[in-house]
Amino acid sequence: MNTYYATTLVVYAGVDIIACLALNLQFGVSGIVNFSFIVFQSVGAYTAAVLSMPPDTANGGYQIYVGGFQLPFPIPWIGGALAGGLLAIPVGLVVLRKLRSDYQAISLLVLSVIVNSVITNARPFLNGAAGIAQVPGPFSDQVDPLTQSYQLLYVGLTVPCVLLVWLVASRIVNSPFGRSLRAMREHELAASALGKNPVQLKMTIFIVGGVIGGLSGAILVGYIAVWAPSEWLYPETIILFAAVIVGGRGNNLGAILGALLVPVGFFEATRLIPPTIGGWVPPPNLIPAMEWVAIGLLIIGFLWFRPEGVRPEARRVFEGGPDLE
Amino acid sequence: MELYVAALGFGLISVSVIAIAAVGFTMQFGITNMINLAYGEVMIVCAYVAFYVNQAGVNVWAAMIAAALAGAVLSFLLNRFLYAPFQRKGTNLIGMVIISLAASLMIANILLPIVGYGTSAYQMDQGQLLRWNGLVLTVAQIAIIVVAALMMLAIHGLLRYTRLGKAMRATAANPTLARNCGIPTQRVIDVVWLITGALCGVAGVVAGMNSENFSVASGAGYLITIIAAAVLGGAGQPYGAMIGALIIGIVTELSAAAIAPEYKEVVAFGILVLVMVLRPQGLLAKRGALAAAG
Repeated sequence: MNTYYATTLVVYAGVDIIACLALNLQFGVSGIVNFSFIVFQSVGAYTAAVLSMPPDTANGGYQIYVGGFQLPFPIPWIGGALAGGLLAIPVGLVVLRKLRSDYQAISLLVLSVIVNSVITNARPFLNGAAGIAQVPGPFSDQVDPLTQSYQLLYVGLTVPCVLLVWLVASRIVNSPFGRSLRAMREHELAASALGKNPVQLKMTIFIVGGVIGGLSGAILVGYIAVWAPSEWLYPETIILFAAVIVGGRGNNLGAILGALLVPVGFFEATRLIPPTIGGWVPPPNLIPAMEWVAIGLLIIGFLWFRPEGVRPEARRVFEGGPDLE
Repeated sequence: MELYVAALGFGLISVSVIAIAAVGFTMQFGITNMINLAYGEVMIVCAYVAFYVNQAGVNVWAAMIAAALAGAVLSFLLNRFLYAPFQRKGTNLIGMVIISLAASLMIANILLPIVGYGTSAYQMDQGQLLRWNGLVLTVAQIAIIVVAALMMLAIHGLLRYTRLGKAMRATAANPTLARNCGIPTQRVIDVVWLITGALCGVAGVVAGMNSENFSVASGAGYLITIIAAAVLGGAGQPYGAMIGALIIGIVTELSAAAIAPEYKEVVAFGILVLVMVLRPQGLLAKRGALAAAG
């Protein structure tokens, strides 16, 4: 049982780290406020699900969905990542080309709410509000998913993905491309005056973030085996924003730290709240609601007192330049 | 055909509800440069204030005044103690949007344990049915339309013909210049939040009257329709928001008759996407969304 708890924690942490690294590339490094990030995670999850599941006539047809291709392991995860990237193209083309940054943010927020409402209402597409269940995980036909060894196998699949994403993210942040992204974030007009094309930069990082976000969804859905619209309402994106802001915008270690502090640490900590406090039993809705209030306070508090986060982005100094001290 | 004429009637009420809400939202943006994503949740808080006053036996139209007051006070406090300090600190536009979304989340989740997850509805007399050339409206629905029309006229009068309105327009155009000309922009902005908060409160109540019931979860849907109307008209433009409300209200209700009512917000979103692709500055604004990045 304890192994089960530990492996669950590791998989969740891995998924959150991957998601925070992707959001950090978009929001922290490039300044794109992707309020619809959870949609990209979700499209990855749905894609991975329908790629790995049998056709919807199986299991008595109690759920209806498109696809059902029963493809073997790496394909659903790769498919989920690709789907996230593919979705980023039309969204980016509409949102990122002409609009001002705060308009981009509200458009993406609206997108997040609308996509959720469409998937909820259009049942034949992805089983509507009930969501899809019994998603087979990788190798679940060869190893019984209820065993400890399967849990360890899943950790073994998740951890390399986290390392791979971290490697890619570090390469991007430290590359000349990453410098262009930071220049655009700091002063878009100046960056374009130096010949950087902001639309191209934004589109590229939006698609990269979409791919990574899709992968995080694919990993998550293989593990929890269910995916429903109520799991990816827009406030879920705010948790990831809180993580990146708390950890430290613009650096990957900050994003990882934020992922461990907020989605993992914070929600694990609330499990420690006793069911009764001095004989007083809090109403059932109170604790979850207060968690959300705390997330809001965390964002506002950090933006006020420490906007650079727990681990601030390192100031990059050109070694051959004049000494500014 | 009759279906569509009846839908047009519903459209007129939707237009009224959206117009009241969107004018308040767009004035906050135009004059104080704040995209207040907590607007939908403030509407819900006000709808519940009116709900409890209504439950205490007061007529819902009188309860609307209580809601307007609640909206004014809440919006004023939100600006005074949250938005304005961050703006003075020099937080950029992106930061302000994130802060208002965090505020929205907090308001919704403070409200939730108080009012619960269930839906609520006002106790009100819809009045008799009035028919005219296929349009079927109740007296209460006509009253909503009249309230909206009066409020739009009042906003028009305020902005065009009063010193305060002139000061508001000056603050919207260039706050530094306005302050240098002796306009107390701080006080003007306070008044803007009070007025738009009152609009927000009334909008919350009429939105609650117009739908069969409302709950804390309705806030996001309200916000999307409001953003669509405001952006369509040209964000920051009160007259643009009125035109935007007119188009969004009529089109969404006609689409509800033609397709299905669940997709009303999707149609509003479709209009929003079209606007953003074809005319991102909106119908009326000259710059709006196209201004330099910041």
